[in-house]
Amino acid sequence: MAEGARVQVSVPYALREYTKGAENVAVKARTLAQAVAALEERFPGLAYRLLDDQGRMRRHVIVLVNEESVGHRDPASVDLSEGDTVHILPSTAGG
Amino acid sequence: MARIQKGDTVLTVGTRKGVFLLHSKDRRRWKSRGPYFAGDTVRHALLDPRDGRTIYAGVTSEHWGAIVSRSTDFGDTWVQGKEGPRFPKKSGLSITRIWQVQPGEHEDLYIGTEPAGLFRSMDGGDTWKSVEGLNAFPGREKWQPGNGGLCLHTILPYPGDADRMLIGISSAGIFATSDGGDSWRGYGAGVRYYGQKKFAEKEDVATCVHKMARDGADPDIVYMQNHAGMHRRKRGDGGWKVIENGLPIAKSTKGTFGFPLAAHPHDRGTVYAIPLEGDYNRVVPGGAMVVYRTENGGKRWEPMTKGLPHKAAYYTILRDGMRTDTNDPAGVYFGTLTGELFASRDDGDSWALVADNLPGVQSVEAGVVGGR
Repeated sequence: MAEGARVQVSVPYALREYTKGAENVAVKARTLAQAVAALEERFPGLAYRLLDDQGRMRRHVIVLVNEESVGHRDPASVDLSEGDTVHILPSTAGG
Repeated sequence: MARIQKGDTVLTVGTRKGVFLLHSKDRRRWKSRGPYFAGDTVRHALLDPRDGRTIYAGVTSEHWGAIVSRSTDFGDTWVQGKEGPRFPKKSGLSITRIWQVQPGEHEDLYIGTEPAGLFRSMDGGDTWKSVEGLNAFPGREKWQPGNGGLCLHTILPYPGDADRMLIGISSAGIFATSDGGDSWRGYGAGVRYYGQKKFAEKEDVATCVHKMARDGADPDIVYMQNHAGMHRRKRGDGGWKVIENGLPIAKSTKGTFGFPLAAHPHDRGTVYAIPLEGDYNRVVPGGAMVVYRTENGGKRWEPMTKGLPHKAAYYTILRDGMRTDTNDPAGVYFGTLTGELFASRDDGDSWALVADNLPGVQSVEAGVVGGR
């Protein structure tokens, strides 16, 4: 595992085919962008599902850090600290 | 699960909730597989006619983005590309949906996306490159979306010449390349203006193309269902010509309104269309399901009704909802937004319901196992 703060990422049900069913994945990262990169390294293809062409979180993806929404801030600007929890969720929309 | 063997006909039915495969040896009795990618929208999927074995599916999740996946064992396993298609950073654009998957002339594979973009893969969909000649087309900022969004929904390679291609974007218009996608030009002269008896004089015109199909015997001839009418154009012509003799006419556009269009695989001048009432009521006119066929390049269209419901059938068929197979006689297939799938095994002369209660059908493709 790379250098950084140890954080816990909760992967949504729809994406657990990438994590072989794992709901919670521990990664080391200082930012949300680094956390996504760490996920991609272990589970190729997962980052494409989270980030749009411009490197932003996809429009209908919600990210909570310690249960607080980070909105659609640049993932590189979302700092993570030791022990943080990152929840990735689909927005509750659609039919 | 029933085996799929060489010579079988395979239908790939993209729906609002996954893709279904139907297969048959005699085109009378059909067996189904799937759905695959259940929950996601598959706007388009097809059996690659070059090998008759690989199925490509354009899968769109509104949450998790759009991917191209492929199967070489008729759905038992699917492989997602190593890198999904992406617009360059400088564009500021991001793909939200995949509308079309189209094999090219050689190893090339194309997709059409929303926002409107054309992407090429040379490795079976593992990696993609933006076709910048089109995606960064000067004036792109003026392109306007149609009702379905700003989507590139039609890709027509030119058989025998990998450098030539036509594409359709709603509602930016029709574009042509003759240098492999490096440069593009408008191809809209002659298209009728909405509700008028006037026609576009210039090629460079934004027009709401709904679907295009190449003639099965003469690739120089292309048919087009446009928002404002049905058209035909032969390479070298100065423009598109309206071909609506025998087709229903919408009150609003003063032309034939509809989306699906499919060419017979072998017979020159034979094309199928399903007109809708109009842009104000996008169902088949009068609740009667009719497929129209021309056998003379649009000089005259005839209604095909045998086996189709003729009352209380308020069907909507989307732009990729009808296709032909490559058999002789040809199979013709269409799916509805309410989940019915109809098939003809005699060039469209008669029809049978082969599936219903499917999720809303987005696209139908038909192929033969083992290739062309």
